[in-house]
Amino acid sequence: MLASTRTGASLALRAKPTAALVPFRAAAFQVASISSSSRKDASSLQQHGTSAGAMTFPQRKEVPLPSQEGTKGVVQYALTTLDQITNWARQSSLWPMTFGLACCAVEMMHLSTPRYDQDRLGIIFRASPRQSDVMIVAGTLTNKMAPALRQVYDQMPDPRWVISMGSCANGGGYYHYSYSVVRGCDRIVPVDVYVPGCPPTSEALMYGIFQLQRKMRNTKITRMWYRK
Amino acid sequence: MSYITRTLGNLRKIGLKEYWHQLNYIGDTKAGVLVGTDKFGNKFYENNEELPLRTRWVDYASHDFDASQIEPQWHFWISYGIDTPPNKDNVMVDNRSWASKHHIPNRTFGPGAFTTFNTVKPKIDSWQPVALPR
Repeated sequence: MLASTRTGASLALRAKPTAALVPFRAAAFQVASISSSSRKDASSLQQHGTSAGAMTFPQRKEVPLPSQEGTKGVVQYALTTLDQITNWARQSSLWPMTFGLACCAVEMMHLSTPRYDQDRLGIIFRASPRQSDVMIVAGTLTNKMAPALRQVYDQMPDPRWVISMGSCANGGGYYHYSYSVVRGCDRIVPVDVYVPGCPPTSEALMYGIFQLQRKMRNTKITRMWYRK
Repeated sequence: MSYITRTLGNLRKIGLKEYWHQLNYIGDTKAGVLVGTDKFGNKFYENNEELPLRTRWVDYASHDFDASQIEPQWHFWISYGIDTPPNKDNVMVDNRSWASKHHIPNRTFGPGAFTTFNTVKPKIDSWQPVALPR
């Protein structure tokens, strides 16, 4: 039976291209001869946007965010607990890959000094992308640096997050119209948190980290997996 | 300072329930005077016998707390900008005509979150064919 299906499948595979070729050939012959098809006026053409409604925008629909949905059922409650444990572990030892590119990096360094003391939050700067969770892009991302940034991001293991720090990383900032600057690092890597400022204070960066932790706290891992 | 005697002494002052609550939110055992409550219901405490820059703290009203949920006046107080708490400071209460009446916290990750929108003319104009009758 298996063999028969295999031959059937192979036949189907073989039959397809020939069948697809036939109308093409016929069309080619028709074109080669003096046109035998009926003449089409321009008025018979269907206008775009009139019938299909391509230009009309869809109705606005309010959809609750995944973080706003409540828990329903026993399975959901059990998986919520699992998610909470995972998220707790993730958010309480956040190792950033430092990508200090410009003056924002100085403020990023201040975050690790005693006044703001990131170590008490479990945040330790890690120089290796393969052992870090979050990349803090601090400073102007130039065209020359962009491939390196992407490579470093690709080397980070999942789950990974990106904090874009400062105007230049957010959207080019002061150098938006420069010939050599990427207009925002979100053109290269997916960004989770944007920290505004030029440069943002270390407090602002710390607030951004808190926002990222909040995002992690609301992430549904097993709950989304079981829905699939 | 986190001596065991300090923790036990504070535990005796605040009780087991508050101890568990603080452990879940602050991660420390603290006893202090309730200085005031802001419009959102956040409770502000003070104890000047703690180490410097640990003397003032907040007990957030919401579980999903965020530093932007503190009102600006209280934020000034809790970051050691002023010693008089804003509920006892007449300047902070009256002389704020320039400020908006209601403090809006950060709406990120909520329904009121900011999303970017395009204000530029589209770069591609689709051609609208017009067929004249012949």
